[in-house]
Amino acid sequence: MDGETQFLIELVTNGMLTGMMYALVAVGFVLIYKSTDAINFAQGEFCMIAAIFIASFVFLYGFPLWLSIIVVLVLMILFNVALERVVLRPMIGRPVVAIIMATIGLALMFRGLGPLLFGAETRPINLPIPDLPIIWGPLFMSPIDVLGAAISVIFLAGFGWFFLKSRIGVAMRAVADSHQVSMAMGINVERYFVIAWVLAGVVALLGGIVWGNAIGVDTQLAALGLKVFPVVILGGLDSIIGVVVGGIIVGVVEALAAGYLDPYVGGGTKDFTPYVLMILVLMVRPYGIFGKPIIERI
Amino acid sequence: MYFRQSGYYKTNYKSDMALLPLPIGQATAIGYALLFFVILPLAFDEYLLSIVNIAAIAVVGALGLNILLGYTGQISIGHGAFMSVGAYTAANMAKYLDAPFWLTLPAGGLMAALIGVIVGMPSLRVKGLYLAIATLAAQFIIEWILNHTPVISGGIQASIEMPRPEIFGVVLETQAELYFFILPITALAIIATFNLVRSRIGRAFIAIRDQDVAAEIIGINVYRYKLLAFAISSFYAGVTGVLYTYYFGIANYEAFQLPISIDYLAMCIIGGLGSVMGSVYGAVFVTLLPIVIRFFMETVGVFFVDGNYLAQVIAQMRLILFGGLIIVFLVVEPEGLNKLWQNIRNYFRVWPFSY
Amino acid sequence: MRRLGIGLVAATALAAGAIQAGGAMAGEIVVGIQCDRTGPTQTVGTFLCPGYHDYVKLVNSKGGIEGHTVRVLEIDHEYKVPPGMEAYQRMKSEGAVVVGIYGTPHTQALTPLLHEDKIPGTSPGFGSAAAADGKKYPYLFPIAATYWSQGAAAVAFAKQQLDGVIKGKKIAYIYYDNPAGREPLPILHKLAEKEGFQLKEFAIPPPGVEMKVQVQDIARRYRADFVINHLFGKAPSVALNEFTRNGYPLNKMVGFVWAAGESNIMGAGGWSKAQGYYCMQFAGAGSKFQVLDDIKAMYKAEGKDAPSEMDSTVYYNRGLLAAALHLKAIENAVKAKGGSADVTGAEVRDGFEQIKDFSLGGMLPPMNITPEDHEGGGWVQIFQVKGDGFVPATDWIQGYRDTVLALVEEHNK
Repeated sequence: MDGETQFLIELVTNGMLTGMMYALVAVGFVLIYKSTDAINFAQGEFCMIAAIFIASFVFLYGFPLWLSIIVVLVLMILFNVALERVVLRPMIGRPVVAIIMATIGLALMFRGLGPLLFGAETRPINLPIPDLPIIWGPLFMSPIDVLGAAISVIFLAGFGWFFLKSRIGVAMRAVADSHQVSMAMGINVERYFVIAWVLAGVVALLGGIVWGNAIGVDTQLAALGLKVFPVVILGGLDSIIGVVVGGIIVGVVEALAAGYLDPYVGGGTKDFTPYVLMILVLMVRPYGIFGKPIIERI
Repeated sequence: MYFRQSGYYKTNYKSDMALLPLPIGQATAIGYALLFFVILPLAFDEYLLSIVNIAAIAVVGALGLNILLGYTGQISIGHGAFMSVGAYTAANMAKYLDAPFWLTLPAGGLMAALIGVIVGMPSLRVKGLYLAIATLAAQFIIEWILNHTPVISGGIQASIEMPRPEIFGVVLETQAELYFFILPITALAIIATFNLVRSRIGRAFIAIRDQDVAAEIIGINVYRYKLLAFAISSFYAGVTGVLYTYYFGIANYEAFQLPISIDYLAMCIIGGLGSVMGSVYGAVFVTLLPIVIRFFMETVGVFFVDGNYLAQVIAQMRLILFGGLIIVFLVVEPEGLNKLWQNIRNYFRVWPFSY
Repeated sequence: MRRLGIGLVAATALAAGAIQAGGAMAGEIVVGIQCDRTGPTQTVGTFLCPGYHDYVKLVNSKGGIEGHTVRVLEIDHEYKVPPGMEAYQRMKSEGAVVVGIYGTPHTQALTPLLHEDKIPGTSPGFGSAAAADGKKYPYLFPIAATYWSQGAAAVAFAKQQLDGVIKGKKIAYIYYDNPAGREPLPILHKLAEKEGFQLKEFAIPPPGVEMKVQVQDIARRYRADFVINHLFGKAPSVALNEFTRNGYPLNKMVGFVWAAGESNIMGAGGWSKAQGYYCMQFAGAGSKFQVLDDIKAMYKAEGKDAPSEMDSTVYYNRGLLAAALHLKAIENAVKAKGGSADVTGAEVRDGFEQIKDFSLGGMLPPMNITPEDHEGGGWVQIFQVKGDGFVPATDWIQGYRDTVLALVEEHNK
């Protein structure tokens, strides 16, 4: 096999692995949007704040990693329950932009809170995995990517099962479909809003750990949040499979753009090609590849 | 003795169509004009005027975004990018054609409007979240293009120096001089917006915001008016960009990135969606808030925090308070500062018989 | 709701009162420093600014400048330009005689104002490289190696590491895709032509949290002989990780000054993950300097612990550099005025241009700021990550100084 083919294969595999890791961040966004109609612009900040707490507990107070993860998990769950009660529940039924803005406000608070409590140092989250690449036939992968992709596949599969089979998941789908009908059927809609936010918090924690291990933890980790949008739009906001596919598309498109387009246009096209692709998809299929169209009634 | 008559009765069409039908409204407008054109410049020093200048520029941009967001109900997270379009248009005109400000201002606005129409095109098919993200994409794409097109952006640093504005051969340099350059434009923008939203176009915008399908049924060409809203909003943004460029003395896309777009969203929401004065209050509030918080913390913070740590606390608390206030406003007073002001006014108007 | 309104009014009134309370007091010299403690590069600002404060505090504790105390006015601008402008106006209104700028776009926006108001501003390690020319930019002082000097030094170092033969070698330049990241390109192109090496550019779009492909390309398609890394913020940590994961040796890479902080190493997973990495400093890294001991002693005398920011020596020391040069310039101005605290910005500007052989006990290169050269020689020192810290790999060096100066001249023509 010649060098170029080898390079292409590597680009695609690594793009796919990275895309799965994007999907891990994006799925938190989809969970909330699906069941509560809220658009969470603070998903990146959720990952960031979870990672900052974990890393700071380990470095400042000497917690073992697993303990710190458990403590932060509990904190995240408590915080998200409170958040849903205090901020988001009064905002049900408000215009989309109001909820976007509320989450942006939340994002700003997180960005201030992390450095205020623990200082702005960059801290690592060191998972016990090797750094050297795994070479497997023509494939050349780094362990953290494989682990990240594996975690996201496991959890996404778990979520898929959860939504399809479990009682809570079915109820959440019903809530996502129509709040009023769900209420009429005896589903406690508000309870499922809380569950959705809690699940999103748990996913954010996972995303924070995986990405924090990959790139270190400080407030800049929140930049991940911007990767979420092309993923969810390309995949559509209605399905877990869509998120995975969207993530893989974004990962691969980024990789190919950086590998083959950059040399010709003299600039980093990587972060912007997914957005261009997304616009094109929006023109053709306004509800994403896997989304279903909404019929509006007056 | 102060009293209010039971009503103000209009006897001809002219008075019915007047911008300020009530005498008290006219008096207020004259009062504001006096305050801003005479008293403020005399009372304020250079520093305070510089704050007023930044706030006045922000008012123009906030008005533009509110036309789109508050009146037409279309989200845009790319407002900053339209500003950069206006900024580079103006800077290039000034650089190559030596154009004066009365040419660059409308040209920057028009160019931004053109781009705005292109960005607004998906708005026919998508709304809500999808439109928000499409405009977010526009922000990144415009930034990228400006960053990588030296022909437009003037080389590696992607910045073009801008000469100071000139009126009748006088180069405007001090904050007071710039104030008299910026304020009339801001005033014009406010009056224009007041007139726009009560015109046929403005009413069509509101109809689309409230129920676009219904608006279409009563004969409003929804697509055309949505694009028009994008165009007008981007025109305002373009003008804002040109004003910033004159004010900074340089056109640089890094001054108009995503955080700036978000600031403008915050202005509209905090001020009050769908209200002209709300945009003004919001712009002033968001501009002043960090400054006020800083002064507040500098004065009060020393009692709570160790001196070394104070600067760090100020910076982070500013973010936390800003984010927190946005949330508090959204939860407690969804209609923003404008509604708050109306509540206060109504309270005193009917005081002491508030029932 | 009404209560909220009254609270707002009260807060505004309080703040308005505070605004009036400002202004310089007699015998006090005000310096302004803009900071980025929030925003995308806060890992720099949160350490650099405390360094600045501590140096000023140290000087004040020793009696100030010729008996006058110095007051620091620090304002955080979140890396946004409008707040930066407001900050500058506030500094001007409080009578600051020198302004420490932070951020390339801010430097550009403030340059015309500095000239109009005759206040010197400093932009250590960022901003436009052409500003090194003091004739063209009389009030702007880079006071440290500009991106062009850094680029030239990187090439010189690469040549040294490649055993003196750079002709025909493959050099990769991996950079943050914004104006500041592209700034060194002219000098690199010029040197590539002059020295005959291959140069390939790899752009990392902001915010640079993911760069597998580019690194893969450098390490295994292009197979670079040496890598020059000009990344900021989060990107340097990511780059270190990715190069390791692609099996590329870190001792064949040199980072520019903003890819050279402790935070970058910590972000990559700690010292053990970055062994061998070379990076550039314009103020010495590490804690083995007399001035740092003095600061610790000052805190000890107050009965306090030294601030934890001192552990991040790279950025903290850069804060010391900015403060030391600001205060040295003010000292020169005050001396020229016969000890009066009533110095103007223009006099401080002249004070900057009289700085000679100033090295703060070895922490700085031998700084010589002249009316022609506001950069102070464009010195950098290359450090290497060894054990738990940065170890000097070279002495203070200037790379291709003639080429850099020629380019500055050409650019400013």
